[in-house]
Amino acid sequence: MKPPAFKYVAAGSVEEATARLAEYGDDARPIAGGQSLVPMMNFRLVSPAVLVDIRRIAPPDAIEEADGHVRVGALTRHRALETSPLVRERFPVLAAAMGHVAHLAIRNRGTIGGSLCHADPAAELPALAVLLDARIHTASCSGERIVEAGSFFEGALWTALEDGEIVTRIDFPLLRPGTGWGFREFARRHGDFALAGAAATVTGSAGRAVEVRIALFGVGETPVRATAAEALLTGTGLEPDAVAAAVDALRNAIDPDDDLHASAEYRRHLAGVMAERALGDAWARVGAGAGGGAA
Amino acid sequence: MSKNTPAGMAEAPRPGIVGARVQRREDPRLLTGRGSYTDDRKAAGAVHVAFCRSDRAHARIAGIDIAEAQQAPGVLGVFTAADIDAVARPIRATSNMPDYRATEFVPLARGKVRHVGEPVAAVVAENRYLAEDAAALVSVDYDPLPDAADPEAALEDRVLLHEEAGTNLIAAREFARGDVDAVMADAALVVEDRFRIRRKTPAAIENRCYLAEFDAGRQALTLHGTTQVPGLLRDALAEIFDLPGHRLRVVAPDVGGGFGAKASLYPEEVVVCALAMRLGRPVKWTGDRMEDLTATSQAFDEIVRAKLAFDADGRFLALEADVIGDIGAYSIYPWTASLEPVQVVSFLPGPYRIANYRGRVRAVATSKAPTGPYRGVGRPVSTFVMERLVDMAARRLDMDPAELRVRNLVRDEEFPYKSGSGIVWDRAGFQDCLRVTLDRFGYAERRAEQAAARERGRLVGIGIASYAELTGIGSRISAAPGMPINTGTERATIEIDSTGAVTAAFGIASHGQGLETTLAQIVAEELGVRVEDVGIVHGDSAAVAHSTGTYASRSTVLAGGAATLSARSLRAQVVKAASHLLEAAETDIEMRDGVVSVAGTDASITLRELARAFYTEMRRIPKEARESLDLSASATYDPFFGTTTAATHIAEVEIDPQTFGVAVRRYVVAEDCGRIVNPMIVDGQVHGGVAQGIGAALLEEVVHDDSGQLLTGSFVDYVVPSAAEIPDIDAAHLDTESPSTLGGYRGMGEGGTIGAPAAVANAVADALSGMDIQINELPVTPERLFRLIRPDL
Amino acid sequence: MERIDIGLTVNGVRHERQVEPRRLLSDFLREDLGLTGTHVGCEHGVCGACTVLLDGDSARSCLTFAVQCDGASVRTVEGLGAPGALHPLQESFRRHHALQCGFCTPGMLMTALDLLAKYPLATDDEIREGLSGNLCRCTGYVNIVNAIRETAAARGDDTG
Repeated sequence: MKPPAFKYVAAGSVEEATARLAEYGDDARPIAGGQSLVPMMNFRLVSPAVLVDIRRIAPPDAIEEADGHVRVGALTRHRALETSPLVRERFPVLAAAMGHVAHLAIRNRGTIGGSLCHADPAAELPALAVLLDARIHTASCSGERIVEAGSFFEGALWTALEDGEIVTRIDFPLLRPGTGWGFREFARRHGDFALAGAAATVTGSAGRAVEVRIALFGVGETPVRATAAEALLTGTGLEPDAVAAAVDALRNAIDPDDDLHASAEYRRHLAGVMAERALGDAWARVGAGAGGGAA
Repeated sequence: MSKNTPAGMAEAPRPGIVGARVQRREDPRLLTGRGSYTDDRKAAGAVHVAFCRSDRAHARIAGIDIAEAQQAPGVLGVFTAADIDAVARPIRATSNMPDYRATEFVPLARGKVRHVGEPVAAVVAENRYLAEDAAALVSVDYDPLPDAADPEAALEDRVLLHEEAGTNLIAAREFARGDVDAVMADAALVVEDRFRIRRKTPAAIENRCYLAEFDAGRQALTLHGTTQVPGLLRDALAEIFDLPGHRLRVVAPDVGGGFGAKASLYPEEVVVCALAMRLGRPVKWTGDRMEDLTATSQAFDEIVRAKLAFDADGRFLALEADVIGDIGAYSIYPWTASLEPVQVVSFLPGPYRIANYRGRVRAVATSKAPTGPYRGVGRPVSTFVMERLVDMAARRLDMDPAELRVRNLVRDEEFPYKSGSGIVWDRAGFQDCLRVTLDRFGYAERRAEQAAARERGRLVGIGIASYAELTGIGSRISAAPGMPINTGTERATIEIDSTGAVTAAFGIASHGQGLETTLAQIVAEELGVRVEDVGIVHGDSAAVAHSTGTYASRSTVLAGGAATLSARSLRAQVVKAASHLLEAAETDIEMRDGVVSVAGTDASITLRELARAFYTEMRRIPKEARESLDLSASATYDPFFGTTTAATHIAEVEIDPQTFGVAVRRYVVAEDCGRIVNPMIVDGQVHGGVAQGIGAALLEEVVHDDSGQLLTGSFVDYVVPSAAEIPDIDAAHLDTESPSTLGGYRGMGEGGTIGAPAAVANAVADALSGMDIQINELPVTPERLFRLIRPDL
Repeated sequence: MERIDIGLTVNGVRHERQVEPRRLLSDFLREDLGLTGTHVGCEHGVCGACTVLLDGDSARSCLTFAVQCDGASVRTVEGLGAPGALHPLQESFRRHHALQCGFCTPGMLMTALDLLAKYPLATDDEIREGLSGNLCRCTGYVNIVNAIRETAAARGDDTG
């Protein structure tokens, strides 16, 4: 299980990285923390001819608030996102989710840009990006663009990134005051990719949910928003009947795969359980006034 | 750790060193990265092997194109079956059991492949990276052969794995006592089911690794390897390469866990030896995890139909079982394919009084990696099946499962007790283990808590498992299957050298059990020196004239027995020498903490002085007396039958009623493992075994698709438990001396894995007892529970 | 074959080497520097045996290319105590019999050091979850948890 040979190029800036990626074309892959890429190379599932090391691009890991967003540099480590006071204040759901990413040693190295680009359907960060309507900033030789998280993930390990394009930043629009959150996932072994998981935010006002968001992961090719369920719950007080109807709706809306660890039917079932629990947590936090983003 | 000495059992004498929590001498080097595992060993000029392995489960090899690989950078050569077969004589795991068919040992595939991961070609290159690059360039042309993965289908012999055998049925056996059919027919009550335990792999954290060095000047071959059985390997390689033992040495340095996986002869071992001799350079193969999960011996793959008859009072009347063992592609050397499945029927009656028994087993070849020994061997399966039947019977009787066990476990006054399969239990605390476990667990109180939790809709379950095993097996029993080796004896040589140092040499091979420490404790106590005075040599075929190694819960009993005999003999020599030197009668000589003295006087001599007098100061002891002395003693110990080890486990689990995740909340074991050498190490063995058993019950499963393609080739997919899945484990020890072994020791390395799958399965079944479902398949994954509980979906 | 110059500090000692880009840090430490205390168990980031401290943070050396460690500071198990002078965490492992075959132990120790530096480890659950990226097949984890619990409670003493 040794990786195949490759040419190594270190890039010192976004411009240099994108120029190098353009130069080498399809044969090149960017590498930062390498926590998703290196295992695949060790199994020889991927064999890039060139790795462009983008880990030293400055500013590497800024997390800052500006223009109604929290902006996170693509090279930010999972661990930094998990422990950032700003993230904990503004997006406690994101900080909580990062605590579920694999293990400390992986979170110390893995970058959020890397996780988004790897696009594992069971990964936490892509689901959080979808939940929080994140805006993903990219750069290539052709220029910069912004891709909505909802259209960034196109399939399992497949994104809207074009050849030679890298993620530079991810912006999370601030949540409205009075927003509670929940994050639940179920894995057979602690730290493993979840068989299914759900993240939810609920914004409450006068005992009613005025905005509900639910993102599911591990239940299909990409993380998905449970839009039908969100609609069913908006305006309700998340009464048991309303939640049950929403859970039915989201189970019907997803199309999980069978694999070694779980059947599609079980994943469908589990997605509903996780969503129900995440919604319950979110609604309880609304009630407790402890929702994140309620500045 | 506690000492519970049941009434009626002799309390073990407990002076000094044996029985003490001596800190392990292995630890300082292992804790500081100064251990010496096989892959740590550097040999000048070493080259590295990567194997081209079959990606087909069953196919004929139409051709192998090695041209491109041979031209790859850094490659010294690419080798296939003919290259190895030219220098390696055939060997096979023979047995005198009727209805057994040995299969050839195949270093590199000859003409066909029989499982995914089977080595087809060996690529030698300057380093492992280059070897892997080139291995990917070997092109094998396969003609597919029909699927042969399902054991029940394989029994129909429509597709043959080994054409020359004429059948896939590699071994068959039946044990019978009494008129089972008549008793079953008349019995008031019967429970029965079809049980299945899915294939496991031992998954030691250190992968297999071998380094062969051939000294062309001396024509001598040395193999360093991750093996539990250096002596056994030496003997096998001597036969394969026709080398005398003094030109062939197998060394197991520090070994990173074995659990049975490193106790057989492997193709890779033969290949690196053959290539080292051919190339004249050291040849190393460092297996990786993918290779471990595809090509290391696997285990516990049985389908068992079993039936238990009992009367209205819960007395067991008859037991019947039909076992199909999926043994994979080859009958593993030297243990044979019968090892695992035959043990299932041998041990199925367990520690219970059952007058009538019939157990039938068929071992069938399939296109999967060969099965071999794995911690527990057969007994995790037999215990799972028997203990499920006991709990099913308790439920039928509406009787507490603990009470049903009390009624049927063999009682102290019934020992020795001969089981329905012919096993004789010499004496062990079957009832006491149960009693102590229930006490430690707080059984009555926990049952009350469970009832309260259930009222609140929680799925809490308590599961008991009792078992008995034979450990420290001697020649009488080891010879029975007619294997080509003797596992029933162990040898030790203890010497005092000219510096006065004590060195004890053994053929066993510690690989985590701390035998360097425990054997030093035994030697120190028997000889009369301090533990730190005793050097231990092990894991080296050159250490003693004959040995097999460490497996089957044998090393403390057998090597400990050999240590005891040789230490006593050496002590007598020391006493004789001292009687000359101190001018005192032998009966007045004492030896304690390495100092030899005359009782009741100030006269004494250290071992260092004694050795100098004996070896160097030639005038101190008269010539004739000196020549009749020897500060070296060897002895071989044969426990002949072996002894009984028994335990009861209790697990408490809680099942999430929505996700069906199972959490083990509490775990208690009480074990009768005889006289304890080092309680700290004994506790550790129990903990580790239980964790593997919990893994077997809940998480671990080698999965193949219908065609035999392996789906669990990584640690992502073969799920071994982490710290988060294992609870604290409370281990209690009865600490009663075995009546049958020297020193009173019993083997105890495997018990945790034997009891835990059954205890967890019973706990899960108990938690779900309000539902009409059966827990008859392990691992009981969330997916399986989902299917059981929600059949509508 | 392309080779790249790197310079890094390992256990306080500066090393300058040329490496092939694909060389894993685990192989670099073991083969090029002879620091065989770092063990390789799976090479896909699951077992944790190869864990080292990279610029102070625990990292999988099997998922890190040596070339990416140019300028870095690495600490391996050889950088803790020596056989005659064990680090307090190593002492605790020994006292509690928290190792058997010893193969996972270096990775356990390096992970535990990072956990002790970053987490309260106030409960066994927290310790167990923190350790869940390091597989041990021998100990059943019971004594590893005991050793770390004791070390966590004694923090304030030198654990680094």
